[in-house]
Amino acid sequence: MAYDVIIIGAGHNGLVAANYLAKAGKKVLVLERRNIPGGQLVSESLGDGFNNVDTLHASAQLRPDIVADLGLRIEAPRAGSAYTCLLDGGKRLTLDADPARASAAIREFSARDAERWPEFVTFMDRAAAFLDAAYRTPMPRLPHFALREGLPLAGLLWKLRRLGGRDMFRVVRAMSMSAEEFTGDWFESEALRAAVSALAIHGVTLGPMSAGTGYTLMHNWLNRGGLAHRPVAGGVGTITAALVEALIARGGEVRTSAEVRNVVVEHQRARGVCLASGEEITADCVISAADPRRTFLQLVGAAELPPEFVWQAQSIKLRGCVAKVHIATDGRHGLPDGTLAVAPSIRYLERAYDAAKYGEISAQPYLEVTMSGNIVSIHFQFAPYALRQADWEAARAVVAQRAIDTLDAQYPGFKASVQRTQVITARDLESNYGLSEGDLNHGQLILDQIFFMRPLPGWSKHATPIDGLYLCGSGVHGGGGISGASGRNAARSIVGDSR
Amino acid sequence: MFELKRTPFHERTSRLSLPQNWRRWAGYIVAGSYDLVLDREYWAIRDAAALIDITPLMKYVIEGPDAAKLLHRMTPRDVLKMAVGQVFYTGWCDDDGKMLDDGTISRLAETKFRLTSAEPSLRWLAMNAVGMDVTITEVTDQVAALSLQGPKSRAILNRVCAKPLDKLKFFRMTESALAGKPVTISRTGYTGDLGYEIWMDAGDALAVWDALIEAGRDYGIVPCGILAMDMARVEAGLFMIDVDYTAANHAWIGGQKSTPFEMGLGWTVALDKPGYFVGRRALEREHKEGSAWKLIGLEVDWQGLEQLYARVGLPPQIPGMAMRGSLPVMHAGKQIGYASTSTWSPVLKKYIALAHVQRPHYEPGTRLAMEVTVEHHRLHAPATVVKLPFYEPEWKRK
Repeated sequence: MAYDVIIIGAGHNGLVAANYLAKAGKKVLVLERRNIPGGQLVSESLGDGFNNVDTLHASAQLRPDIVADLGLRIEAPRAGSAYTCLLDGGKRLTLDADPARASAAIREFSARDAERWPEFVTFMDRAAAFLDAAYRTPMPRLPHFALREGLPLAGLLWKLRRLGGRDMFRVVRAMSMSAEEFTGDWFESEALRAAVSALAIHGVTLGPMSAGTGYTLMHNWLNRGGLAHRPVAGGVGTITAALVEALIARGGEVRTSAEVRNVVVEHQRARGVCLASGEEITADCVISAADPRRTFLQLVGAAELPPEFVWQAQSIKLRGCVAKVHIATDGRHGLPDGTLAVAPSIRYLERAYDAAKYGEISAQPYLEVTMSGNIVSIHFQFAPYALRQADWEAARAVVAQRAIDTLDAQYPGFKASVQRTQVITARDLESNYGLSEGDLNHGQLILDQIFFMRPLPGWSKHATPIDGLYLCGSGVHGGGGISGASGRNAARSIVGDSR
Repeated sequence: MFELKRTPFHERTSRLSLPQNWRRWAGYIVAGSYDLVLDREYWAIRDAAALIDITPLMKYVIEGPDAAKLLHRMTPRDVLKMAVGQVFYTGWCDDDGKMLDDGTISRLAETKFRLTSAEPSLRWLAMNAVGMDVTITEVTDQVAALSLQGPKSRAILNRVCAKPLDKLKFFRMTESALAGKPVTISRTGYTGDLGYEIWMDAGDALAVWDALIEAGRDYGIVPCGILAMDMARVEAGLFMIDVDYTAANHAWIGGQKSTPFEMGLGWTVALDKPGYFVGRRALEREHKEGSAWKLIGLEVDWQGLEQLYARVGLPPQIPGMAMRGSLPVMHAGKQIGYASTSTWSPVLKKYIALAHVQRPHYEPGTRLAMEVTVEHHRLHAPATVVKLPFYEPEWKRK
């Protein structure tokens, strides 16, 4: 069986790219290492009573244009639930998805901030819309690019201009700012600034005082559609199921438990892949949804690539720092619905990040907590991949303990409800989910690794030094987080190339 | 303060060099010449035997299961086909096919090689070795090297070496002992004559030097500096980095870079070898489309030169050593290239130059002109493109 396209990895970006290509008439095969498709977008049964748990992400949305283009049968995300910040002394700041109700809550902390909140939400939505447009725009391959390549960029600059003088300036300025400075421009209340800053550092190894967290705030705001998660009915795995269903309907194939050992390269051209089983499958074109470092240094191999390129690929900053803790309770956990965040102050968040810098697990972690029945799921930062005491069994216990203690301090009695825990560390993300250094974003979202510098300067258009090998994962422009943008862009770029 | 290094032969060479004209070479100082004029050293290369200190060459030992793979990938030569005891001369390139450096690869054992280079190459080696099971060790300071060049070099070595070298072929190497010290001897050099390079532990350097001088006395051995070697290497059609080409990583602008094809090293580019090597695509393209430039030999027409000087009442005047200044090369009154090194060739009795010439003027037999300065006036002497090398004695390969 000959395929037009082989896609390595059935994560959401791989499946989005596969769907677009199948829609364009290509014969597509998606190969997945694990025994289920989905990559990070999975609702799994982890055993021990953890059934249909949203393993890594509490919510997810593909970009609406992708859902429409592919005719995916995905329920529109539920209206955002509340985002509740757990403060010291049992105080709460609940930011409802409805700006007016959020304002009312903020008023307890600052009347001025309460007034500014609706304007802030509007600004963030517009900034996110600009970013969405940017993620749809192919980035030129700097430093040398033809005028034709620059044209889409001109369109993007026009969109930026249309934000109006003040907002255009704000967006550009905010990107390089820290969340601490950016929120300080808007608000005076520490609680509110910390609540917003928490989203800025979510999933990245940065603190709210790091430059560029203004950008990550917009990025996360875009992908999440605001501060709070919008839960997906039936779990995030239903999105994967819809993508697989659509692909099969278009004549595409997905093979699970089919680990790619290497990309077959002949004369600097990809000819197909070789599976761990030894089976070789040929195709005109291979697209990797794996992270760029894994793709180049493991699947292709440094020997097939120019030395300068290898050096750069080695230098991609992948810095996993997230642990996921699932806790089975007896139901009496006492936690309210919605998204809870342990982010009482900016300093608290920065200190949590400080630990990561020194290879330690945060003593007082930033947590984001969601509930599903008796199961409490916790996003834990920071438990860095580059752990100084590299005893991961002990680290697992420490993470669980600190997560439980932190929540118990807010909800006394929580600890008593705990029955069993499951901890997924950065190490597990690497070994089980194939994420180099456990980096959920396939490369940190930092200023020197975004836009035309993602995945590498000069290689922003999905192509690689190997002809017929492309990238479509989170590590390329549009990526980081769950949106499908990089998968869509890659497919468009490839269809354009082969025309 | 930055201090230039002295080679392990300094104790001898410094006493012998009359003009004390030290030349800087890769962080070392070496003797430019041992006499005030170069004739004695030059003619030793061509008629007897010249002993040259070449320790400053950068040297690397590359060892491990992937050692061959590393050099196969880094250079355009088919290193996988290399036999143990064989030596390859090669240039190597960046991924645009532009020359970074050139040197020799010696296969010391199945999984052990020695690479020489002109420029520090550790970083480039390491960048190319990502993911390979190989260790790279710089041994520039630990390994001393002498070059014994000239028709009598074999006879001298046979007197002092543990085993005769009669069967050692051109560009092969062998382990031996000299003055009781372990050495490796390769039949290589930078003069285009019969010659050998002797590699030894730095601690054995003086013993080996003394033994060679002693054994060579009856054969007219002469310690020789790098200035006389510079004349010989032009006759041999051998170019020098930073003189005849600019390393791609040192070039300020694209126009300063050269490819192996342009440098006349097409014979080292094994486009039929398997797998990727650095610069492969660019070199394949150039091979197909032809080179825009070429390094060629230029022989200045003696009668034409004489005429230019006769106008002012002088006989032709030619510098007695190799000149490293760039001289314009003309065709029909238009500059179409430049000579990078020019020299009087005592053995050929000709004024010759290594020149970079643009297509289509690089075919042998093409009539061009090269700039000469006659009594402060810049004029053009007629010259002919010739095949390199200018001089190749029958005993070089025999």
